[in-house]
Amino acid sequence: MSLLEVQNVSKTFHTDHGPVHAVRDVSLSVAQGECLAVVGESGSGKTTLANMILGILAPSSGRLRFDGADLPSRRLPDHRRAIQLVQQNPLSSLNPKRTIGASIRLGLDTYGIGDRSGRWRVVEEALDAVGLPPAMRKRAPSSLSGGQRQRVGIARALACDPRIVVLDEPTSALDVLVQARVLRLLNDLRVSRGLTYVFITHDLAVVRNVADRVAVFKSGQLVETGTTEAIFTNPRDPYTRSLISAVPVVDDDELSLRNSLAEGT
Amino acid sequence: MSPVLDIRDLHLSFKGYGGLSEVLHGISLRIEQGQKVALVGESGSGKSVTARIVLGLLQETRTARIRGAVEFDGRDIGAMSARQRAALRGTEMSMIFQDPTSSLNPTFTIGRQFREVLGRRDPGIGRAASDARATQMLAEVSIPDPARVLAAYPFQLSGGMNQRVMIAMALANRPKLLLADEPGTALDVSVQAQTLHLMRELVDDHGTSVLFISHNLGVVREFADRLYVIYRGRIVEEGPAAAIFADPRHAYTRALMDAVPRITGGGLPDVPEVSEDFLAPLIRHEEDAA
Repeated sequence: MSLLEVQNVSKTFHTDHGPVHAVRDVSLSVAQGECLAVVGESGSGKTTLANMILGILAPSSGRLRFDGADLPSRRLPDHRRAIQLVQQNPLSSLNPKRTIGASIRLGLDTYGIGDRSGRWRVVEEALDAVGLPPAMRKRAPSSLSGGQRQRVGIARALACDPRIVVLDEPTSALDVLVQARVLRLLNDLRVSRGLTYVFITHDLAVVRNVADRVAVFKSGQLVETGTTEAIFTNPRDPYTRSLISAVPVVDDDELSLRNSLAEGT
Repeated sequence: MSPVLDIRDLHLSFKGYGGLSEVLHGISLRIEQGQKVALVGESGSGKSVTARIVLGLLQETRTARIRGAVEFDGRDIGAMSARQRAALRGTEMSMIFQDPTSSLNPTFTIGRQFREVLGRRDPGIGRAASDARATQMLAEVSIPDPARVLAAYPFQLSGGMNQRVMIAMALANRPKLLLADEPGTALDVSVQAQTLHLMRELVDDHGTSVLFISHNLGVVREFADRLYVIYRGRIVEEGPAAAIFADPRHAYTRALMDAVPRITGGGLPDVPEVSEDFLAPLIRHEEDAA
């Protein structure tokens, strides 16, 4: 059963230079427990789509359904709690003046999760779940490394006990060794908690290894969708092929896959 | 013939409240004429400060303590005056930064900024001569309509276009050495691939030597002839790029390679973030092994 459905959704921004069609008639669905990767270049509409899923933007037309019911454009607290976001840059998305514990607790206070005395325990459990020492809740974001901060970003989303997590380029600001650990953590959490991910990224190599299905965006339109296996072994759309063949690769097997795709374009 | 860049046993420390803290523990690196050398490492490994020492910028920082030899084209940078070092920048050595749009000045047209760059080498250059030279350079980076670009402000151009402009500017004065710090990481992958390809062709044509700083092994593989892997202020492995990619021997280099997700799949790698083995001594590959 699909947990999230996007049905014929469009978003148009009206600017001084005329209308900009950021998302055009997009339909897709995400099943419970699935990881759907949304890929495309900058300006392709992937972040606009994410903002509509989160309720930050209202669609110009079309509708969104969550767990069998329509999602109103003015979200109820329950909806906001159930669909959480992990942002790209953990340094700019955490308030520098709050301790990380206070940042994580904010969601609990907003949605009235648990009783007041038990909330610090929930915060500590969330930190523990992402592999950080619970005592770290008293520290400021500036005293943490990039990888630790991104773990805080994940803990903040998890503390609200969401059904869906929208991950917006969660590892592209991280070093490659740190990225590998954080991606493994995200995968483990998805399996152990039955979470559903909408994974927004331009890094096709990451997508290959974390996603179940892929949706490829170009200029606001969905150009191709399919299982990760199918998209990488037999991409139909020339744009998908060009995206895959632009990935910088390290080993020879990858090079031959890339070359075989480049021949087809 | 002397190498274009010869760094020998370079140490760098910063003076802080808690005394001196050393960030480069004696690194050595050589770039021959026309060679493309990559310095690869994670953030905080010391790769960008190395570039800033070569450019003569860190020497102006009062808290920095620099020891060791840095020779550019046979001349000792450490023995130069601040003025002499400044005269090298933009003429004999130039730099390309990570984000092209934020490293161009938004208040001047591209043509005006070209004139400033060309004026470093030739202070009396007039507008007509500068525009002619700039047009020729923009054509070399495959910009279809140079006149339009010269009249434009950076924010009117796309990121990929600005990146090409940066490459054209950096090579306009025919520098001996080009320093490229993570060029194009702010751009989309397909644009990044195109600009890297273009940059490689241009530096090959001009015979420019390059110090390419990156954390992305995939990008390095497509660009560099030689590789230096840096970890916490120490070079841990060096040699021809092909030899290191075929047979990475240092534990840190191996971890870096394993950590890159593959487009052929195979799941997420299980590599440690830190390990005692990463501190093992330098491994040098034979020059003729490539």
